[in-house]
Order: sequence, then C-alpha cells, then structure tokens
Amino acid sequence: MVNPILLIIVPLGTAFLISLTASFLKNSTKYLALLAMIANVWVSIKLLPEVMQHSINVVIAGVKPPLGINLFVGPSGAVFSILISAAGLLILLYSFKYIEGDSQHKYYTLFLLLITGSHGMVLTGDVFNLFVFFEILAISSYILVGYEGKRNGLEAAVKYLILGSIGSVLILVAVALIYQEAGTLNMADLADKFGMIDPSKRLMILVFFITGMGVEAAVFPLNSWLPDAHSSAPSSISAMLSGFVIEVALIVIVKFVYSIFAMTEILGFLSLVAVITLLVGEFAAFKQANIKRVLAYSSIGQIGLILFAMSLNSTGGINAGLMQIVNHTASKSILFLVAGFLIVRTGSYQISDYRGIAKKMPVSAFFFVIGVLSLLGVPPFFGFFSKLAIIIAALHTGSIFNTVMVFLVLLGTVIESIYFLRIIQVMYNRDGIVDSVKEAPFLPLLAIAAFAVVILAGFLVLPQITGYTGGVASEIVRKMQMAQVF
Amino acid sequence: MRKVISFLLLAGFVFYFATLTGGLLIPDSSADRSSVGLDILSRSADETGSANAVTSVVVLYRGFDTLGEVTVLFLAALGISVFMKSTGEKRKKVLDQSFILKTGSRLLFPLMFLFGMYIIAHGHLSPGGGFPGGVIIATGFFVILLTSESVNFNKTLMSVLEGLAGLSFIGLGVVGLLGPGNSFLQNFLPLGTFNTVFSAGIIPLIYAVVGIKVGAELSSVVYAMKESK
Amino acid sequence: MNGVLSISTVLNFGSAGLIVLGLYIVFTQKNLIKMVIGIDIAETGVNVLLVSTGYIKGNTAPIFSKAGLQVSSMVDPVPQALVLTSIVIGFGVSALALAMIIKLYEKTGTLDTSKIRGLKW
Repeated sequence: MVNPILLIIVPLGTAFLISLTASFLKNSTKYLALLAMIANVWVSIKLLPEVMQHSINVVIAGVKPPLGINLFVGPSGAVFSILISAAGLLILLYSFKYIEGDSQHKYYTLFLLLITGSHGMVLTGDVFNLFVFFEILAISSYILVGYEGKRNGLEAAVKYLILGSIGSVLILVAVALIYQEAGTLNMADLADKFGMIDPSKRLMILVFFITGMGVEAAVFPLNSWLPDAHSSAPSSISAMLSGFVIEVALIVIVKFVYSIFAMTEILGFLSLVAVITLLVGEFAAFKQANIKRVLAYSSIGQIGLILFAMSLNSTGGINAGLMQIVNHTASKSILFLVAGFLIVRTGSYQISDYRGIAKKMPVSAFFFVIGVLSLLGVPPFFGFFSKLAIIIAALHTGSIFNTVMVFLVLLGTVIESIYFLRIIQVMYNRDGIVDSVKEAPFLPLLAIAAFAVVILAGFLVLPQITGYTGGVASEIVRKMQMAQVF
Repeated sequence: MRKVISFLLLAGFVFYFATLTGGLLIPDSSADRSSVGLDILSRSADETGSANAVTSVVVLYRGFDTLGEVTVLFLAALGISVFMKSTGEKRKKVLDQSFILKTGSRLLFPLMFLFGMYIIAHGHLSPGGGFPGGVIIATGFFVILLTSESVNFNKTLMSVLEGLAGLSFIGLGVVGLLGPGNSFLQNFLPLGTFNTVFSAGIIPLIYAVVGIKVGAELSSVVYAMKESK
Repeated sequence: MNGVLSISTVLNFGSAGLIVLGLYIVFTQKNLIKMVIGIDIAETGVNVLLVSTGYIKGNTAPIFSKAGLQVSSMVDPVPQALVLTSIVIGFGVSALALAMIIKLYEKTGTLDTSKIRGLKW
C-alpha cells in the first residue's frame, strides 16, 4: 500500500529542497518540481482502486484519533487528489515555457505549496488541520496572483488577501466554537458529537464555517475578489485557481454540510445562492471585453452550477456536480492556458484584438473551441453528459422550486453560449487584423492537448468515471462515523 | 452610508454572538468537561516523556499542524522576497549611529543568540520552544540590522538554512514512517529521564529544527524589508 | 460564578468585541494599512476566543515541572497549541500584506482604496 501522506510531504519536501538548491541549480529547479508532480500523479493513481474498496485512515505521530491528527482518504479524497495532481502536472509542463525570468525557482516553490495545500484540504481528517492547509493554499495563491509584480496583479492580490483573511478569521471562529462545544477536532468524532450540540449553536457554527470557506469558494456575495484575481494572475495560475482551487473549497463546504454536520435543511438556501451566483457570473461575463475577465466570470457561473447540483440533497445531484467539476477543470484549464499564449503573442487582453487569429495560431484556436463546446455542454463532449446529469437530477427531485431553478440554469447556459460563440466568431473572422503572430510552443500545446483528450474521450470511459464519482457521492451523502473510520 | 450599514450588520452580529456564547460559561472545574485536550493531558507525560504538555501537543499530537505552520512562515518569507526584490543600489546613509550604540548592539547579539538557544533547548521542560526561541534569535539580527549601516548578511546561507531545516523536519517525520511505528512523525528515540534536558525523544530535535527555521525566516524577512526602498 | 462578571463572560464578550471592532475597521476604513490593522485586531479576538475554550477556573499551566502536580489542576493544553499556530499564521499573513502594500504604494503612490481602481468595493 502506498501511504497517502506522500501526496502532502512530497511536494512540501520538494519545495524546501528547491529553496535549498536554488542558489546553484538556478532555473533547473523546475525539473525537481516535475519529478515531485510525477510522483504525486503516480501515488494518487495507485491509491484510487484501493480506496474504492475501503477508506484508508492514516495516523500521524502514532497517536490514535481523536487525540492526534489523521488523514482520512475516502473516495472523495482520492478522486480529488487525482484531479489536483494530474491538472497540476499538465499546468506545470505548460509553465516551463510560459514563466520567464531569472528567479523562477520562487514560482515553482509557490506552485508546489499550492498543490500541497489543495491535497491537504481534501485529505485531512481534522478540522484545525484543514484550517492550516487552507491558509497554505490561500497564502500561496495570494502571492501567485501578484507574482508578476504588475499593478493590476498587486491590486487584485491585496484585495484577495484582505477578503481571504476575513474568511479565515470566520473559519477560525467556527473551529474555536467547535472545540468549545464538542471538545474534539476530529471530523468523524465531530460528526458523532455534533448532533448533541444546541441547535442554535449548530447553526451558528455552520454559518461561520460556510461564510468563511465561501470566500475561497467564490459563492455569490463573497466573490468580488475572483474576477480581479483570476484575470490578473499569470495564466497558468488562473488555470489552477479556476481549475481546482475554488472546487476544493466548494467540496469542503459540501462535505461539512452533508457528512459532518448533517444539516441538510440549509440546502434549499444554498441552492438559491448557487443559482444567483450562476446568473450573476454569466450576466457579468456577457459584458466583458477582456478575455481573462470573461473566463473568470464564467468560472463564477460554473461554480454556481456545481453548487446547485451539489445542494440537491441526492446522490445523483452530487454525482452530477462532481462530473461537472471534472469537466470544468479540464475545459477551463484549456481556455485559460490558450488565453495565456494569445495574450503573450498579441500583447493584448482585448477580445477585439484577436480577430482572425485562428489563421496564425490554428492549433490553439482549435483547442479553444473544444474547451468552449465542452463548457457549454454540446454533445458528444464530456460537458454534455455532466450538464444532462445535473438537469436529470434536479428534475428527479420533483419539486417546483428545483424546476424553476433548472429553467434559470438553462437561461444561464444560453447567455454563456452567446458570449463564448462571439469570441470564437472573432477568432475565426476571415479578414484578420493580426499578423506576424507565431503559434504557441510545443510543450504548452501538449499540455493543452492532454486536457482536451479528457474532454473528448470522456464519453468513452463514462461508466468508469461515473463509477468513481458515484462512489464519492455515496460517501459524501453518508454521515461520517467514528466507528466506521477506525 | 457604508459605515451605517456595516455598523448595523456588526451590531446584529454582536447581539447574536453574545446571546449565544454569553450564556455559555466555561465550567469551573474539569469534572464536568470532557475534551480531547484533557484526555491528552492525562497521558502525554507517559507517552511522550515531555514535562510540558503544550509542547507535546504542538510537536507530536498535533505535529502535522506545526509542519503546516512552519510552511506558512516559509511562504510569508518567500512572498516578501518575491515582492521586495532588492533594488541593488545601496541605501543612502540615513543617520550615522553612535559608536556606543554600534558596539552595544554587537555585544548584545551573542547574548540574545545564547538566550534563544536556551529557550529552544528547554522547550519540552518549560514554556518556550522553537517559535519563541527562533524569534529571539531573529530579534538579535534585527538589533544589528537597525544599528549598523552595512551588514554582511548572507541571503544564500539563509535560504539554504530554511530549506535544510524544513527538509530535516520532514526527514525526522519520514524516519518515523519507515520505522516500526510506521507513522509519520512517530517518536523513534528513547524517552530518557523525565524532566531533564535529554528526554522526550524527538521533541527537542524537532524544536531545534523549528527554531533554526523560524530564526532564519524572520531574519530574512527583516532584511528584505530593510533593503527594499 | 458568584460575581456579576465571571472571567468567562469577560473573555466571551471581549473576544466578540475585538472581532467586531476589527471587522468594522476593515469594512469602513479606506486606508490599506488601517485595514491590515483591523484584520490583526480581529485575529487577536479569535485568538482570545480560542485560548478561552481551554480555560478552567483556578487551574495552572499544563507543565509537570515538579513532582506532585495533579492533572486535574491543569488547563486544557490543546487550545494553547492551536493558538500558537494561529498566531504564527496571523503574523505571516500580516507581514505578507504589508510587503504587498508597500509594493502597491510604489506603483500607485496612494494607500487610499477609493483612489485605487482595482480595490473599490
């Protein structure tokens, strides 16, 4: 058996190693990062079949929970680990050609710490440990957003940092109240004891936790940082932030609501918030002229869609939401990564400056179209199946509220398709105004192509994928129990 | 307008928070309270051999948190070095410090360094440990940086120390993972005589590593802040 | 618990007050440095709340420094360890925030959020 703790300590140790060797390895430190990511992908792939049989519980420092910290690797942890490490590996390959300058080792250190934080958040079985990994994730993303040192990036990073700090204060209040009321920090133990807490205090803990984590997950009133941060970060980082960071925060919220707090009565409120998030995101994206802002607002819309599916209070809904997460990770990564080289080659963020660029950068433009079609849910791309699953799951609940919501979700998709097809129309315009533009280098295109393969081949392995996501869904719906874990 | 809205919002929050937690008073004795911490308290001395129960929680029971915490400091130092790239040019002399101040700070530094080492080495016996000790050492550097115009500060050495200390922390954890306990950060050394300096297994080692790391990181943060314009 | 103000009440209201004060500063002030100070105050409030969860009236620090000390006369050690972690994290975030703000000031020449385009909210 491979030990899941490797998923956390390998990138973390490599980050320290890069800091140790940076003075003489210089920019070759990126190959260390590559090795760490390959190891991570290998470990997470080895883990998946084992975890599907039975969850793995890793004890740290030889102390049995609830006294010590443990890692609890259920299907959700394993599936998200694969998502994080695979997307991370591909985006790392892309970064090799995209990130330039002479202190690159700092970028790769931050990159690995971002991966460490995401793995930690999905694997840990302890509430306070979750907070620590949340901070690692958040701080490394603040720095990476402002990494280029340009004015826009710094403004966005400061804004992100201030809102994120408020969020972490709220999470910490929730953790303190949990310890005060339940006397434990272990998630499974907490799930056992949570029901005994006074209901009004339970609600307060839940509100603090969801509000705090909702800042990172970009749920509607708390998401004003996202369009700035995701649009002014380096494109490789935008792809990570949109591709899995917000989803990780979202899945933590969902896990707490269903399997730890077991307070499904607030799901109605969450699905309302989700649909508002979706509509706000899509309407705002419609008005943007900056390509990265379009993509960032579209991420808000997608996160609303995912949250809507996840708050349907059914296994089918969560399953559909997870499929949509896979689809969003792959297709939004493609779009951000392509946008990265569009910006580098043309020197402009404005969509109108890309007129006719498909002639000069045919491969990039082709992948962009694939990403868009899958995001919109056009058959036979993977996005079609995930969106279909969401609609089926929503109609399956049979409530009028959800039917109305489905109508609004479809309205959002229509808006989404209008603004995305407008971009494609500009890119494939015949009388191009761009000339002397080169195609993106081979390595980034290879990374983008790998994401595209996931989308295209997704429907061939659909039963396998839904097998895994179904396993995750049934794990999340079930309440955690100390007795089952140990 | 914004002030009024936030005031009302927060006043509501205070009311809500106070009515709920105000009625909830912390019990007067441990008898009517059960928590993970009290369980740990009753067994930590036997299990870890550390006289200071807080230290045994920080380093062993919740040692993984401490690894994360050290990582956060590492990140902050890294972030500051990303944003405050040294401009290269020497700062203008602001003030010529007096001879007494310069000599005094140089005399003070070894004492502060020694005191920091003492705090680190006795973390498992008395209040203290790697974090306070590292901060005291960094304060020593800070005093010198404040009083002297030019300091031979080796940035490469600091980043090597940071990396090395972080790797040793993980290395100590991995030894536990490979050892008989098969658990990350498992205590693999003998516990020694209770309440003496050489006791408590890997706790002093981990605290030494944390102390070096915190000292190096805070020193380079202070240096980066001073060097940038 | 005989007096009107038990220490627990003071800690609870005090921590709530500090959190609210800090958040109020963040929401209403326009100066970035003041906002960071507000975040720090709110974090201090949370730390007070966190450490107060382990408080047991009349008990001592959980250190077995001499023989004969009873476990039942000590306070809970876990919140103290948690608060150490949260203080260090708070320090890291504020140091980073100040470094970012210094850099932003170099670029924009102002600390006023209403004058920085990307920071209006």
